[in-house]
Amino acid sequence: MKEYYLGVDVGSVSTNIVIMDENNNVVVKKYIRTKGKPIKAIQFGLKEIKEEIGEIEVKGVGTTGSGRYLASILIGADIVKNEITAHAVAALNYIPDVKTILEIGGQDSKIIILRDGIVTDFAMNTVCAAGTGSFLDRQAARLGIDIKEFGELALKSNNPVRIAGRCAVFAESDMIHKQQLGHNQEDIINGLCEALVRNYLSNVGKGKEILAPVIFQGGVAANVGIKRAFEKALDMEVYVPEHYDVMGAIGSAILARNEVKSKESSKFKGFEVADIDYKVKGFECNDCANMCEVIQILAEDKVIARWGDKCGKWTNLSDINLQRLA
Amino acid sequence: MSYKIGIPRALLYYEYYPLWKEFFTELGAEIVLSSNTNKSILNAGVSSCVDEACLPVKVFHGHVEELKNKVDYLFIPKFISVYKKEYLCPKLLGLPEMVINSIDNLPPVIDVEINLLKSDDNLHKSVIEIGKIFTSDNKKIKLAFDKAISRFNEYRKLLANGVIPIEAIKVYNKYVNSITTLKNSKYKILVLGHSYNLYDEFLSMKLIEKLQKENMKVITPDIVDIGKINHYISKLPKRMFWSFGRKIVGASSYLIEEKAVDGIIYISSFGCGLDSVLIDLVSRKAKKYKVPFTLVTIDEHSGEAGVNTRLEAFIDMIIWRDRNEDYISTHG
Repeated sequence: MKEYYLGVDVGSVSTNIVIMDENNNVVVKKYIRTKGKPIKAIQFGLKEIKEEIGEIEVKGVGTTGSGRYLASILIGADIVKNEITAHAVAALNYIPDVKTILEIGGQDSKIIILRDGIVTDFAMNTVCAAGTGSFLDRQAARLGIDIKEFGELALKSNNPVRIAGRCAVFAESDMIHKQQLGHNQEDIINGLCEALVRNYLSNVGKGKEILAPVIFQGGVAANVGIKRAFEKALDMEVYVPEHYDVMGAIGSAILARNEVKSKESSKFKGFEVADIDYKVKGFECNDCANMCEVIQILAEDKVIARWGDKCGKWTNLSDINLQRLA
Repeated sequence: MSYKIGIPRALLYYEYYPLWKEFFTELGAEIVLSSNTNKSILNAGVSSCVDEACLPVKVFHGHVEELKNKVDYLFIPKFISVYKKEYLCPKLLGLPEMVINSIDNLPPVIDVEINLLKSDDNLHKSVIEIGKIFTSDNKKIKLAFDKAISRFNEYRKLLANGVIPIEAIKVYNKYVNSITTLKNSKYKILVLGHSYNLYDEFLSMKLIEKLQKENMKVITPDIVDIGKINHYISKLPKRMFWSFGRKIVGASSYLIEEKAVDGIIYISSFGCGLDSVLIDLVSRKAKKYKVPFTLVTIDEHSGEAGVNTRLEAFIDMIIWRDRNEDYISTHG
């Protein structure tokens, strides 16, 4: 029987699930919009995978993304890793000598610098969401165009318009002003792409030595306008891998494969978790002035996990040791 | 009857609390501390403070709100300078004015100016001025302060011996008798930033504790030898005129150049003017000596996901780099 590994990346905008074989090839991939309901998204994805490829033996499970602890509790993960490590591992799988990873997701954007196949430096965006996918989503909505067409439209531009990219609010007012001056939509869209790239390079990429090969991944890599803006700004070729949108999940599947080598069995709870009735109940603990927002995950009305408390008294009540840092 | 003196557990509390506590206690006053920063303090601070201030200043306002109806006096000295030819942040210089004008129904505020810009002698004037509230006997005030200083120096000896303030203050308050040392912690992480960001566990989301749980030895500028700090800061082409800047840049330059740390994490509150300069100085030096550096910006967030992701990735990177170096050395 073939060996399969499951990788799950629960992000702010999308939940991505992949099944990989023992040769690190993607067998199935799912890109699902999280829409604020990570549990539903994970269950939906697992169900679709099961229907698509039938019963398989999953040897190992890895989770990543901001919802990695939640995912690990639902499906039983062998390894829970941060996005930086997962993205780096995935990129190395496709380009072993990659030196720079540009990753732009929904709320995070990161740059990862690698030398000789190891991460030597990285940076993430600060408190501001400018320079992330949400910025583009917002402006596309404002212009009334589908985000999927955004990149193609940008490529049609032949008269660049400069738009302020430091802050999404300023960008919006700058954009409206440029619209009222009569610039056409393609030029404005291209201006937004260049603004995002400029902001990314000066904020996230500040002071980093960007060397080729450069790989561009994350949901925003679908946008050919951004890819071109990067190539123009960096004056080098930017490579977008085939599975650019699920690289985090791929990385965690590869990490899972390495993790279970030294173990006898996986913690995977099986595809049946897609049918379990999970509920989330939150409450505010009023035992002290911190008033922590405690989250409880219930499976068939039984509490399987709690977190969110600063003192740990609620977390400790549930019998799991996974939320090391959650 | 003894007076109740309220000390907000914020900003320079993290530098001088033991000193003032001993001093006021010697003079027969009772100290009332605000609670550890929590959500209601944060909310109170954000709503009463001017909105363009940085997070720690807002939090300070919240602590004042908590104390104002419980005490006879609030102790908010006007710190101008604590070191010759150096200043503190402008927001600390104007702190008592900011608080008095933002919060109503305050008890009397002890806002004595502390300014050692030109000479240390000014401290005694300030001390006498504070003491006069309790006694007219100048000798008694002076004696109380001398005693306070000598006990404060004992506390500082703990720091000099490598105990970071978060733990030293627990020893001082007798919560614990001894310091728990980590076993086999292979990696040393320098955590930089203003003390009120580093040691307020609510603001820093227990970053130091999280590092220690991952078996990392945490170093902060407060435990670095002052002689080394001053020596390394003097190498800058232009004199550093902020006391916090001297400590942060001096300590990090020393540890970077001596290759005494495996990584640096800088905790900065969003919008800090000093940090905008200091972070750049430190990160350039770290880059030159190939020491991993990361910045954690804090603001009103209470979601810890962002901090945790950066922290985990940083630890992963340090271990990954280290393993790789081992690999090369055995073959080359």
